[in-house]
Amino acid sequence: MRIFQNINYDFLGKRKIFYFISGALILLGLLNIVFRGLKFGIDFNGGSEIILEFQKPVELGYVRNNLQNIGIGNIEVKTYGADNRILLRTELQNVPRSVYPRIISSIENEINNVQSGIAKKLVDSSFTSVTYEFNNPETTNLVLNYLSNTGYQTGKVSEEPTNRQIEVNIGVSSWIKENLKVTMKDNPFKVIKEDKVGPKVGNELKEQAVIAVFLSLVVILVYLAFRFKFVFSLGAVAALFHNVLITLGIFSILYGVIPGLNLEIDLTIVAALLTLVGYTINDTVVIFDRVRENMKIHKTLPLFEVINKSVNQNMSRTILTGGTTLMALLVLIFLGGEVLRAFSFTLFFGILIGTYSSIFVASALVLDYVSKSKKKIQF
Amino acid sequence: MKEIRFRLILILAFTALSIYLLYPTYADYQNNKKISSILERTRSDLKANNPGMTNAQIESRLSALEDSLKTADPSIAETKQKRLKLGLDLQGGMRVVLEVNTIKMLQKLAKNPNEEFNQVFKEAEKEAAVSDEPVVDIIARKFKERNVRLSRYFGTVRDEDNDIVSQLNTATEDAVSRAMEIIRNRVDQYGVSEPSIQRQGSRRVIIELPGVAREEETRQLLQGTALLEFKLVKDPQLTFSIMQKIDNVLAGNPPQDTTKTDSATAANQTAKTDTVSSDTSANQQLTKEQFEKQHPFFAIAMIQQESNTADAYVKADQRDKLQRILSRPDVKQVIPDNVEFVFEAKPVGKNDEGIDVYRMILVNKNPELTGGVITDADANIDPATSSPIVNMAMNSEGSTDWARITGANKDKRIAIILDGVSYSSPVVKNRITGGRSQIEGMANLEEAKLLAIVLKAGALPAPVDIIEERTVGPSLGQDSIKDGFTSGIIGFFLTATFMIVYYRRSGSIAAVSLIFTVLFILGILAGFSATLTLPGIAGIILTIAMAVDSNVLIYERIREELAVGKTMKASVDSGFSRALSAIIDSNLTTFFSGIILYQFGSGPVQGFALTLMIGIVASMFSALVICRVILNYMVAAGIKITV
Repeated sequence: MRIFQNINYDFLGKRKIFYFISGALILLGLLNIVFRGLKFGIDFNGGSEIILEFQKPVELGYVRNNLQNIGIGNIEVKTYGADNRILLRTELQNVPRSVYPRIISSIENEINNVQSGIAKKLVDSSFTSVTYEFNNPETTNLVLNYLSNTGYQTGKVSEEPTNRQIEVNIGVSSWIKENLKVTMKDNPFKVIKEDKVGPKVGNELKEQAVIAVFLSLVVILVYLAFRFKFVFSLGAVAALFHNVLITLGIFSILYGVIPGLNLEIDLTIVAALLTLVGYTINDTVVIFDRVRENMKIHKTLPLFEVINKSVNQNMSRTILTGGTTLMALLVLIFLGGEVLRAFSFTLFFGILIGTYSSIFVASALVLDYVSKSKKKIQF
Repeated sequence: MKEIRFRLILILAFTALSIYLLYPTYADYQNNKKISSILERTRSDLKANNPGMTNAQIESRLSALEDSLKTADPSIAETKQKRLKLGLDLQGGMRVVLEVNTIKMLQKLAKNPNEEFNQVFKEAEKEAAVSDEPVVDIIARKFKERNVRLSRYFGTVRDEDNDIVSQLNTATEDAVSRAMEIIRNRVDQYGVSEPSIQRQGSRRVIIELPGVAREEETRQLLQGTALLEFKLVKDPQLTFSIMQKIDNVLAGNPPQDTTKTDSATAANQTAKTDTVSSDTSANQQLTKEQFEKQHPFFAIAMIQQESNTADAYVKADQRDKLQRILSRPDVKQVIPDNVEFVFEAKPVGKNDEGIDVYRMILVNKNPELTGGVITDADANIDPATSSPIVNMAMNSEGSTDWARITGANKDKRIAIILDGVSYSSPVVKNRITGGRSQIEGMANLEEAKLLAIVLKAGALPAPVDIIEERTVGPSLGQDSIKDGFTSGIIGFFLTATFMIVYYRRSGSIAAVSLIFTVLFILGILAGFSATLTLPGIAGIILTIAMAVDSNVLIYERIREELAVGKTMKASVDSGFSRALSAIIDSNLTTFFSGIILYQFGSGPVQGFALTLMIGIVASMFSALVICRVILNYMVAAGIKITV
């Protein structure tokens, strides 16, 4: 079977149109990023994310209402894969002070359930836990066991046999779970995934992610300058930059538009962007390789002709490889499961744009740069 | 033809190696299937025969059975060791990042803190929350800005700021190693298989616990305060007689008097013990099987006949089994209430089979002293004997007790126990007054340093904060594996079909080489004992789709060469050589970004980067070597090639 056999299409002649399209896409993306912003996941912002699996399907509105007045502000509630799985997310790091009395009274209620009028003393309270002291070690162990069995996160303050203090955890996620346990008694759940990230980690990651993307661009710039000519590596890196920008723009535009697709920037998306850089350069390099070869063969042919010829010769390879890759990514988007969906989506769009840019951005930029600078390049 | 032969050997070697490296994974999969089917059967049997049993009881019976099945055949553990590892996101588990709270620790270290001091620390706390600059440096800088000498709060008056900074840095450094040791010790006891505890940067510790999804317990495990105790080691006669009784119980000869024996009566039975011990030496003539049957306890907890202690030596893989035996109600009956068996934290060495052997000793349940009294401990080399020693200092209260304890127990052993595990059990040589003691007998300086860390564990608790916590439930992991596997198979078939339809016979060759690519990727991953993560699976699927790129490049070239009228043989040769530079350049650039991704990423992302890089190498090998051999052979044999 053959497609694109001996085609001779003037791609570069129409480069102005494609510059315009690329420019418009980038502008649209940037406007969206500036005005709508990019949505970062908890990997970068810090916060808690819990995925719960209920025994029966749940209605999101019902869960949302139940969580509305537990005093920790806005909690995102989404379905996750199946209709009995939900994702809860909050960027809150600590339970606000205003909720403290409620949490404490709910803990003390439970303690009174062990034995009413039990003697206890609140000895310490921090952002994440409260510490109670009891009269003797036996009571302490009794309360500890009871609280753990009812689902609180508790622990002895020390393992000494004389220990009389217990610490009860009051993190954001435990407070959410505590409340859901009460309000959704008839539909018990189990936690299938839980992430908690502190704010410091997030800031460091953002920094590292940006560094990683730039570093890979620099490495590619240097390698291609070494293997080809500096002009070529500039064109290639500009095209990569273009791909990443447009993909980020698409993230901003499509965020929350497609149901079931969670377009938030987290660690795996950064990984996808880096992969994108690595994979889309492939296309560009293959075309440049052809250009290099054709320049050696047809020494007198103008660069415009050489590049057009090379792009045309490579067309069937571009379509074929692009096709199999996009096909595999489609499989991953639809069958790869919830965790990989956004990742595969990023790569799908990125590679689509990358294939386009290797012809209309990278090669075209090389041509324009060379004709502007009027320098003759030779291999 | 000679060239083809060399390449054939190369291909065969790589294929055989990959299969060899992947075999444990297959075997482990089969083992797990077998074990879980036995467990399922037992579960339904138990349920049918004992309707009164609670679920918890059934589960505990099953987990005991599972352990015994797994330890029964050493090859099961071995294949598990060598199999392709699955990441936390695939098998479920917890990943926790801890940070030692240096601020709180320094606050505790300071003398006479005043208003200004608290102010500086508040500011430093804010700053430390967003930067990775060492806390000690931040504080030193802040005090310098205010023209306050550090010696106002730390060290002695004569100390220069620089000295104090380096002292404080050592203290923080110590605190982190201490936290790591405490955590490692607890994680080991907790029985997590293949835990990973790594240090990151100056004050962070990353802990990965596969298969653990019990957040409450883990939190306690990681954040609780460490308990250091000094416990008296029981004398050999008593220890041996207790072991003897346990052995009898296990062999099916319960003691005549069912009342609990306490240590006093047990000690009176030494006469009887002696006869029994000669009995055991007579047993040496018994075959291994007979011995195991008659002395099930001593078969696991081995006693050295010639030594004058009754320390038992236990193989690492039998520790769990022994611990279960010791917690059996009928065994507990014969162990006096005031004593307990403890293991040593580190193995004493390896046995002939190369398995770690741990020492187990019998100690008093009530500690003579707890670790809060220790003010300092450090490891050194004794200049006189040039052997490693640990010097330990106690506060005045502790020193008084210590003098009494050491005075009363001369020539006896005292075990240093952290969170229930013994780190050393030195013999008391003299009554120690003044609290300054020297511990000898460590094998090397490393061991001495560890003991010093342990001794300080109770001295200055450095609080640790959990700054990141990720839990994946096993069911989500299962789903991910299933989804990944399905997508992989479908992606493979789609890509292969595409190639066969487009390039016909040579497309089939590409499809065959694709199988090799996948085999090599998995084999190399297993060989590097790398971890397969979910993004890693995505990486493999993506590699399958991209792997054909090299084939496409080559085939397109061959078509072009054929079009200008070259023969098949010439076209194949120049097709390969002309496509080579494009293949190498494009793959190398991708490989570079893989390296950067690997540097940047953590956990799953690293797994992806690794599969990406391995995939590039494997696919290049398949396209440039395997396909080439097949095509060359077909040309030489005159088989028609359709491109």
